[in-house]
Amino acid sequence: MMAWKCRTPAIGGLRWSGMGVRPLVQSTLLVLVVLIVGGPLLVLLRTSFLPDGAMPMASLEFTFAQYLAVLSSGGTWGLIRNTLVYAAGSVVIGVALAGSFAWLTERTDMPGRISVRVFMFTWMTVPPLVIGFGWVLLINPSNGALNLLLQHLFGLSNNVLTPYAMKSMIFINSLAMVPTAFVMISGLLRNMDPKLEDAASVFGASRLTILRKITLPLLTPGISSIGIYLVMSTIQSFDLPLILGLTAQVPVLSTRIYTLSASESGISDYGLAAAYGTIFLLLAMLLMWMYFRATRASERYWIVGGKAFKPQRLALARSKYIALGGICFYFLLMLLPILILIWTSLLPFYRLPTFADLTHLSLQAYGRVLSRPLVRRAIGNTVELLFFSASVTVLIACFVSWFAVRQKGWAGKTLDLLSFAPMAIPPIVMGVAILVIYLRTPLYGTIWILVIGSVTVYLPFATRSISAGLAQIHTDLEKAANVSGAGWWTGLRRIILPLLLQQIVNAWLWIATHAGRDLSFSLLLMTTSNVVLASAIWLTWSYPDLSGASALSIILLVGLTVISAPIQIVAARKLERDG
Amino acid sequence: MLAVQTLRKRFRRPGRNAVSTAVDGVTFSVNEGCIFTLLGPSGCGKSTILHCIAGIEVADEGRIEIGGKLVFSGEDRKVVPANLRDVGMIFQSYAIWPHMSVYENVAFPLIYGRTRTPAAEVRRRVTEVLDLVKLTEFADRPAPNLSGGQQQRVALARSLVHRPRLLLLDEPLSNLDAKLRESMRVELRQVINHLGMTTIFVTHDQVEAMTMSDQIALMRAGRIVQQGAPRDIYLGPRTAFAADFMGRNNLVPGLVSYETRIGRRIVETELGPVDACVPDHLHARDEVFIVVRPHSMELVGPGDARGDGNAFTGKVAQVSYLGDVVEVEVAVGSLLIRAILSAYAEVKPGQVVSLRVPTGCCVVIPRDADAMAVAVDGRSAAGIGTPVAE
Repeated sequence: MMAWKCRTPAIGGLRWSGMGVRPLVQSTLLVLVVLIVGGPLLVLLRTSFLPDGAMPMASLEFTFAQYLAVLSSGGTWGLIRNTLVYAAGSVVIGVALAGSFAWLTERTDMPGRISVRVFMFTWMTVPPLVIGFGWVLLINPSNGALNLLLQHLFGLSNNVLTPYAMKSMIFINSLAMVPTAFVMISGLLRNMDPKLEDAASVFGASRLTILRKITLPLLTPGISSIGIYLVMSTIQSFDLPLILGLTAQVPVLSTRIYTLSASESGISDYGLAAAYGTIFLLLAMLLMWMYFRATRASERYWIVGGKAFKPQRLALARSKYIALGGICFYFLLMLLPILILIWTSLLPFYRLPTFADLTHLSLQAYGRVLSRPLVRRAIGNTVELLFFSASVTVLIACFVSWFAVRQKGWAGKTLDLLSFAPMAIPPIVMGVAILVIYLRTPLYGTIWILVIGSVTVYLPFATRSISAGLAQIHTDLEKAANVSGAGWWTGLRRIILPLLLQQIVNAWLWIATHAGRDLSFSLLLMTTSNVVLASAIWLTWSYPDLSGASALSIILLVGLTVISAPIQIVAARKLERDG
Repeated sequence: MLAVQTLRKRFRRPGRNAVSTAVDGVTFSVNEGCIFTLLGPSGCGKSTILHCIAGIEVADEGRIEIGGKLVFSGEDRKVVPANLRDVGMIFQSYAIWPHMSVYENVAFPLIYGRTRTPAAEVRRRVTEVLDLVKLTEFADRPAPNLSGGQQQRVALARSLVHRPRLLLLDEPLSNLDAKLRESMRVELRQVINHLGMTTIFVTHDQVEAMTMSDQIALMRAGRIVQQGAPRDIYLGPRTAFAADFMGRNNLVPGLVSYETRIGRRIVETELGPVDACVPDHLHARDEVFIVVRPHSMELVGPGDARGDGNAFTGKVAQVSYLGDVVEVEVAVGSLLIRAILSAYAEVKPGQVVSLRVPTGCCVVIPRDADAMAVAVDGRSAAGIGTPVAE
């Protein structure tokens, strides 16, 4: 038997020791988040009030000249209209396609459902940049492969397709949006209780009536919030409008700000760019507000899957092959641009795909681009950018989530709000602000300003997903650690972090792949020393070295897929298992 | 060992500006080696007190001392954080860390606690405590693969392994099914007694409280309404709430009057004059209730109604045969008295019977608004011994 009467020595002094780390972490975090989120916004506002030609941070003058210029210019309204038409058009088509695909995979017995899911999940990492270049090669007016094929097939004398038009921009963007929309809508379908549909069928409603009167109305709030979210992200996007829209002379807000502030187009006009940026920011905030209206505050954590139901799958009979055919056609449309890029990357110059050329295929272009010092630097920089952006963002997000979910109070609320704010800040606007801040500092031209920008714009995503995970961890688990004698820090490290590991890894990978494909920061803040793969592709493409750019695109695509594919496949499989 | 003084804790209701007082000036002290129970309905503040003692919640006012050391003082705003208070705790949810094995869970307080324990010592002590809770073979099992009872044992082992000065139990049995609860209750008590741990036990179950504790503090709406040994509280409730909460009873309304023939105060009721121990603070003409436990009555023959104590006669309204006992409801005037009799008693509905209650089993409590509310509640819920509605 044990002699347990002996007691451990007396309690320590009356201090908040052990908890001393917490206030320190909290204030550091507050300062940091205010600086990286609030700082750029203030500087942006300040810059937008600069007089013409004045350098930012070097003038004390205040003027409304830039805003007057923006508002009096007839082009501004065209710009806003372009932006909205582009976004709304692609979201309507994209959501319709994604919605049908999601319904087919979730609610019918169509074959190949797992493959469809795996494909969609994997496709989310394909950079729009790559898709855009692929489509230019496919349907450009002079020697687009598809154009020539159509001419040949139907005996046409002129070009049918062009990538350089609003219609094409909408079409290509909506195709590129489908995977993301698919994942969101199928999540929505999964969380809907199929008993509601069964009840209608018990009362004699036909399948079509159920779809029309029960399923769609029930999904409407969810679909509209997904739609607004996608409009928001399309408006903020920069790569497709840059690749297609500049040649098409269809400027949208993001490309306009870029052309105003990038030095490659002559003299940068930071004041005007900032004024446009502020207006852009207001538009994005309006959409943000609509998004919150659509999703009630309680549903803010849309990332969290709810309870999974097991619905009765509709037997499609013959028509399942039609459905499958439709999806395969979509996959073909998604694969075509990548196939043409692979083809181009294997030849010294862009040539139409022919059987005769099969013998000339070689990896020369890869060797050529990889031997360039700029490209080597770009690859090294990209690895650094991915690693540091993802790690720093996730680290900050973990702490912010803890304070927001566990401690609440004013500090928690402030952190929660501030870390969510960048959701409404278009990356290109953030890029301009960062450019203005760091232009005269030694940080300019290093990879670190790209890291700062990425951390800011990806913070909302990381905080949302980690908070959602943390909210599901019982508070007692942490308190038990405290009562067992572990301080705040130890409890966080030994209990919370291991339990959040899955969310942390997912967020890390998501940020890494997005930072790797982003063109807005990398182009806007580009110098010869901080070039990354995405901006190197753009440079090579504009040079023009089409086969080199294609090779680099394929390298980027393979790199990003290798990083994220395993986890995406696991996620798709898990969905199938649970469902 | 533990001293809690005028502890107060308020919560701000989310959304509204209203503030609710969860703990309203609670004072008590617990001796070394004693099992002290905070008993009360849900929302009475008992868990909040426990959390304030553990240090995972911070009170607004008052003082808490553990083993003579001040760990909380509202006046000086002194707060010793939970990890330095040297307590062990079983959470209602058990809070077994799902990413660790049983061994790792139990070893945690030794490895990451206040004092680092050498590895060999950790192994020895974890083995020892797992042995104590009979979980030796489960040491390497991942925590999620445990049954409710096993989780409870892990929680117990974890709360004891660092030999805390104070053990805190937050409704430790409420997540178990009825059968397991009974056996775990006995086991828990054995382990605690064996180690001589000073223990604070929080529960809403009066049977658990009575079987486990040396002392019970009965709580209601943030205050302690009565404190004492289980037997004292059960047999001598001072309020209708205490009587009702500790078990089933009959509340018989009456008036205190002075009986000159026997030279002391008695209570006039519809059952007739009842000889009961009237507390000194009650005077003649005071409105009171007499608390009569259903078990305290015995069946007496019709001629035998004058025996010791108080006897009354009524008509059997209902008989429920429960096997080990028989429950009868006897109508006396407008009152319906519930009695629990031996299974061998032969009673039939409609029969006229006499019941006798010893004087010591008639507890007199004031009939204030609060007691009336309890009486009305009790009648609607269980139909116990209050005036029959016409």
